[in-house]
Amino acid sequence: MMSDMLKQYGEVIGFHAMDSLLAIAERLRGKRIVHVNSTRAGGGVAEILSSMVPLSRELGLDVSWEVIEGDEPFFACTKTLHNSLQGMAGGLSEGQVASYTATNERNAEKLKESLEGADYVFIHDPQPAALLGMMPGRKGKWIWRCHIDVSAPNRSVWRFVKKQVEGYDASIFSLPDFAQPLSHPQFLITPSIDPLSEKNIPLSKAEVEKTYRELGVPRDKPVILQVSRFDRFKDPLGVIESYRIAREHADIRLVLAGGGAADDPESGEVLSAVREAAAGDPDISVLVLPPDAHRAINALQSGADVIVQKSTREGFGLTVSEGMWKRKPVIGGDVGGIRLQVINRFNGFRVRSPEGAAIRIRYLLTHRWKRERMGVNARQYVLENFLITGQLRNYLSLLVTLDGGEGEWERWI
Amino acid sequence: MNTTGANGPFRFMECSLLPVSTGFRAQTLRELRSAVPEIPESSLYYHFWGRMLRPHIAESEFNNDFASWADGGLGDTELAEALSAVNPVKCKDLGELRSILEDILEARLDQGDFLSWKKADREFYFIACKKFMFDTGKVTSSLEDFPVAVKTVSRQSFFHHFLDGRRRSPEGKDDFSLWLEQFGEGTAEVRRLLGRVDSYLFSLGELKGQIVSILEKGLRKGGKK
Repeated sequence: MMSDMLKQYGEVIGFHAMDSLLAIAERLRGKRIVHVNSTRAGGGVAEILSSMVPLSRELGLDVSWEVIEGDEPFFACTKTLHNSLQGMAGGLSEGQVASYTATNERNAEKLKESLEGADYVFIHDPQPAALLGMMPGRKGKWIWRCHIDVSAPNRSVWRFVKKQVEGYDASIFSLPDFAQPLSHPQFLITPSIDPLSEKNIPLSKAEVEKTYRELGVPRDKPVILQVSRFDRFKDPLGVIESYRIAREHADIRLVLAGGGAADDPESGEVLSAVREAAAGDPDISVLVLPPDAHRAINALQSGADVIVQKSTREGFGLTVSEGMWKRKPVIGGDVGGIRLQVINRFNGFRVRSPEGAAIRIRYLLTHRWKRERMGVNARQYVLENFLITGQLRNYLSLLVTLDGGEGEWERWI
Repeated sequence: MNTTGANGPFRFMECSLLPVSTGFRAQTLRELRSAVPEIPESSLYYHFWGRMLRPHIAESEFNNDFASWADGGLGDTELAEALSAVNPVKCKDLGELRSILEDILEARLDQGDFLSWKKADREFYFIACKKFMFDTGKVTSSLEDFPVAVKTVSRQSFFHHFLDGRRRSPEGKDDFSLWLEQFGEGTAEVRRLLGRVDSYLFSLGELKGQIVSILEKGLRKGGKK
């Protein structure tokens, strides 16, 4: 019999889809699965795990989630890693490498029992990737899940990361563009949003209005919204530029809402630059929200007229799917995972410049019925492709596949 | 493995298909031509069949990824048309499909030097896949119940029986049609209509809607076998 939680998912995705998820989970009963990442809150990875772990347990699986602990130098190092893997020049200093290794060693000591005994271990992103080499007694299969756009990485930094991940049994990338030459299979699985989370459940109009009031954003003009970390690759300054171009023809407000994540030491610097660019314009609201402000973000997205995600690099960009789930077309940067989510003229627009974003903002504001039609398409597209249940199904299928070893590409189980 | 129980109840199977990077990519027609003999068979499967299970909209008039890329990436409509005329169901196996693909690409390259080095707007990434199939435990024996049973299976199960079924059957018939054969003339019209459905021009959801509609209309007066 299905639990209440599974029934709720079933009502969204259909009970036949829930049945097949249960059927695959059944094959992994009794196995121990551990996820490891570097932060419990803030950012897409933590959000996915916050939903995936309870859902997996509800399916009868033995799943746990470990978070590595690091100090400021470690997270400064992993931020450099992150930026360099997304193509920024520079490399890791000797001190940073030492900090990375020492932090992983400390965490390996702490997590040894849990990880060595697990049947499957998912290591998310480069921060905890070195743990594999520090677990000589490991018995299970280890999978490196890379959430970053590594299509054109800084080569010296990639070589460092490659050394850490080469020994894994498999890796997962969000897009084929991101996959790199490695000696193990590289699976392609997109991330997802949770339709039952605070961030994505339907809200009443009254709650949406109340949230806007509380956050000090008047509802007197159409609202253009970008929700994302204050990160240079999310291009918040480019969004302000788009808004300024669009404003010459349309009376609009811009809301930039986001927060930092515990593992992102650079966000303060970017936020200062954004505040400076927005200074003196009462129609721009820069909102710094705590990592758990999921319901407020939901309200902002639900009440926005146009949602923008003008990233210049993007691992996937879950805020795109979040916006689309609320029946909003999204104007997204023509990069990374946004390309997979936004189909031009079907559920939004992909753009390559502030000017491009500005013209699409004006277009959507002046063609209401097209905006609504694209919003309907957007919701359906997310339903079919980017919900947590689908991603979990793919993860579980991967584990079943790994158990089958190298052999025929299609087989009966 | 007998997936349908052609002479008994219909057993619903299901598949899980995971895309895997091959490391091969192409930005010109010549690069595409060079890679096709090298890629694993599952990559051909993915680009002709597996694409139906990944995020896509049923907007493209082309029935495989190679044709879509030739048109949208390379801007070579003539090649796209030739590639989309390939009916993979008529190939006896994936090896034959590969040969046909190679011949078409070679013939196009022979037509002009410019075509061999023209760069596409976007690269073509060859993706392979791993697939496993399993019995869902769901069974139906009655013609009357059959449309509802098909309507309530997952998209992966529908894919397995309808689209992939046509590939597995030597006559290119889907599993539903094969199972209905045991009921004789009474299901002939339904089978004829199922056989006429052009499976590549719709999203999986739209396709399922069409098939269910044919079954609902055609099997209304069916009974238990």
